[in-house]
Amino acid sequence: MDNGLAGMALRINLTTCEIKRMPTDEKLFRHWHGGRGLVAKILYDEVPRNADPLGPENIFILSTGIMSGCYIPAGSKVEFGSVSPLTNGHGDSNMGGHIGPMLKFAGYDMIIFTGISPKPVYLYIDNDTVELRDASKYWGMGSLDCERQLKKDLGEDFEIATIGPAGENGVLFSCITHDFGRQAGRTGQGTVMGSKKLKAIAVRGNHSIRVHDLSSLKKQVTAIILRTKKHPNMEPWQKYGTAFFIKWSNDNAVLPVHNFQTTYYEDVDKIDGDQLVEQCLITHKACFGCWMNCGKYTKAVIPGKPVVHLEGPEYETGALCGSNLGMKDINHVAYINWMLDNLGMDSMSSGGVIAFAMECFERGLITEKDLEGHTLKWGSVDDVEHFLDMVAHRRGIGDWFADGSKRAAKKIGHGSEKFAMQVKGQEMSGYDGRWAPGMLLSYMTADIGAHHNRSWTITVDLAEGRESVEGRAKIVVYLQHIRPLFDTWCICRLFWGEVDVTLEEIVESLNNITGWGVTVDEVLRTSEMIWNLTRCHYVERNRDNGRAFDYPPARSWEDKIPSGPGKGKGVTKEQVEQMLDEYYAARGWDKNGNPTREILEDLGLSFAADNLDKIGYLGEPIPGGIPPIRGEKYKPKAF
Amino acid sequence: MVIFLKAGSELRCRLKPDIDYYTRRVETEAGKSIKEILDDIGVNPALVAFVYTEGKLKGLDYIPSDGQSITLQPPVSGG
Amino acid sequence: MRIKVNRDSCTGCRLCLQICAIEHFNEINPKKAALRIEAKFPDPGKYRPFVCTQCSKCAEICPEDAIHQNEIGAYIVDKEKCTNCGECVAVCPVRVVFQHPDLDYVIICNFCMKCTEVCNTAAIVEWEKMPTDKAREA
Repeated sequence: MDNGLAGMALRINLTTCEIKRMPTDEKLFRHWHGGRGLVAKILYDEVPRNADPLGPENIFILSTGIMSGCYIPAGSKVEFGSVSPLTNGHGDSNMGGHIGPMLKFAGYDMIIFTGISPKPVYLYIDNDTVELRDASKYWGMGSLDCERQLKKDLGEDFEIATIGPAGENGVLFSCITHDFGRQAGRTGQGTVMGSKKLKAIAVRGNHSIRVHDLSSLKKQVTAIILRTKKHPNMEPWQKYGTAFFIKWSNDNAVLPVHNFQTTYYEDVDKIDGDQLVEQCLITHKACFGCWMNCGKYTKAVIPGKPVVHLEGPEYETGALCGSNLGMKDINHVAYINWMLDNLGMDSMSSGGVIAFAMECFERGLITEKDLEGHTLKWGSVDDVEHFLDMVAHRRGIGDWFADGSKRAAKKIGHGSEKFAMQVKGQEMSGYDGRWAPGMLLSYMTADIGAHHNRSWTITVDLAEGRESVEGRAKIVVYLQHIRPLFDTWCICRLFWGEVDVTLEEIVESLNNITGWGVTVDEVLRTSEMIWNLTRCHYVERNRDNGRAFDYPPARSWEDKIPSGPGKGKGVTKEQVEQMLDEYYAARGWDKNGNPTREILEDLGLSFAADNLDKIGYLGEPIPGGIPPIRGEKYKPKAF
Repeated sequence: MVIFLKAGSELRCRLKPDIDYYTRRVETEAGKSIKEILDDIGVNPALVAFVYTEGKLKGLDYIPSDGQSITLQPPVSGG
Repeated sequence: MRIKVNRDSCTGCRLCLQICAIEHFNEINPKKAALRIEAKFPDPGKYRPFVCTQCSKCAEICPEDAIHQNEIGAYIVDKEKCTNCGECVAVCPVRVVFQHPDLDYVIICNFCMKCTEVCNTAAIVEWEKMPTDKAREA
């Protein structure tokens, strides 16, 4: 194939161990662009609406994107997808590193796993050799330890993705780890992989990827490399990565502190990017084809504990496992990061769950007796270590928290749902939305629960007014179309976001790779189509109006920020409702948050409209019709 | 005195570069901090996470010298 | 013409491998590159590029006399003479002579320097002469 595709796909039935090879469906890639788009379509079509996400009917997908591996800036990613056990809806999570491109060099665009293996296995791919191999030797190992062992056993040039004990034990926010520190963290993809008894994927390949116009692609990308080398923001990016924004978040009162109780951390100087670089940094680490090398490989040194090596902490982990847990030493944050990587737990959800548990302990809702004689105090790395061990192995009350903060709150009761900081079951990213209403709306309306990568609006909130909500919804909609494109194409969005590589240039690369001749408007429409499909999937699975699932926890409007620059600030419930009303109108959905037939047919999804209609959740027609264009690009005002 | 402020992406639009694609020449008084200079030229300092100059990161309270080139680093979301 | 390796600067991005294969084979395939990156993780957590040092061992061992140094110091493979026997692969002290199933000849760096152009962290840079070259010429 001369269009960026490797050419083959695999369907593997883990119950029967049958491995089917088939040519990649080019039409499917053309329509859904691969990655997240393909995942959305396959899950929608093939997973029964009442299927248990941890049962044999759930499907676990690896999809490379059309651009992954193709000499494109940061063409490094791979998408994992399955119905999420955390949110009970479409779930997808992408991961950088090198395994996505390697899968393409081995000759495969996509792997679909069905069923459940009778015993632990790992998938071995060496070009045309594809085998399910016995993983009993590796079952129980930490992710990082397992990767090390597999490289030793198979060869250093294999790329490995593994789950840890958490995934094996069904912790609902388990992640998949790769390259000693990259994760597909969100939505519990590691949990699904573990439920299928799939311990790891090991890939090696030496085929070539063929593209439509390599000469133009080479010229274009080499020019981008040389241009961005001189971009003023490139050098600070390469040297410092994302951890440096923790201080900025703190100064601007969006940093989560003590389970989002407040947004200003007195001890931020002890856990910020300066400390990371000074105390912990070993090397800068890049994904395949990326020269921003935002990865920071570090070590954590704590007297009395073994020295551990890890990649991170980056911003999210630094915030959610740093200030959010009251940590006062960067080495402690790094150590927690390492624990989570090796146990195979999403560091973002874990930060949220640990913080929730810490607040429960603070309030006396759980006690030392529940914690096997240990405490769970803010700032104690030892307490966190013990708690994580209970959670990863579902021991005692760890079993409750292993299901995420939403389900744990239901069991704990006493109004704890108010401060389980999640939406749709997935914990919030490292930004407090009370004084950044666009960010709160982003959490409320992301298809996979409270995650920032669909839409990040804090600079918009700062520029346009932190206490007003008008007009914020249209910008969120636009961002929810553009940002997931990168997950669809399996490239990193940092070049677009940070060093002025435009969407037009990326679409030009896409056309050089595929020969499709698409426009920017067309790709945004594809992304909107995918967005609406995942919404339909969610409503169909959860059998209620979409609006019922779009609310943040009550802390978001009941508790004003108690300290720091944001003291006294916070949205009202009325503003939350107003934002939802504006959002649905901007989307062409009805006031219950259900997609209407008009929008679905406009996007070529009439089959989804029919399905919603059958179960009584098709959106009511909108008087005056749907907006002709959904979403509005934010234009910063020139001063 | 004169300093040169550089920025990319959204921040660049607000900076209104006049020397090249990324750079704006700013006349200012000695002793002013970056935050004060940004206020003077109408760029919201909250949109700048930190500044980068001579290979080092500095906060917005940094006081530049005559002729110095300063990159404004906007915040970003990780993943 | 030589390539100097600043190993502490390598981030493992593999841009060098990509551009090398594109330049010489018009294909996207890191396994057709004439250099390699070694990764040592988790401990010490470092990358290290390995490039041709022009030591001449490949040319010396070639039973077909298929490898010769050119005017810029690169060891060039005569694709007609090369039988892909692999002796040069085994003798290379830095293991940067490569074979690939698609090819019936070996891959050795020709010092086109494209890799140094795309390397953003100066992990591999163009270098005129090494001290050993000067000693050899004296």
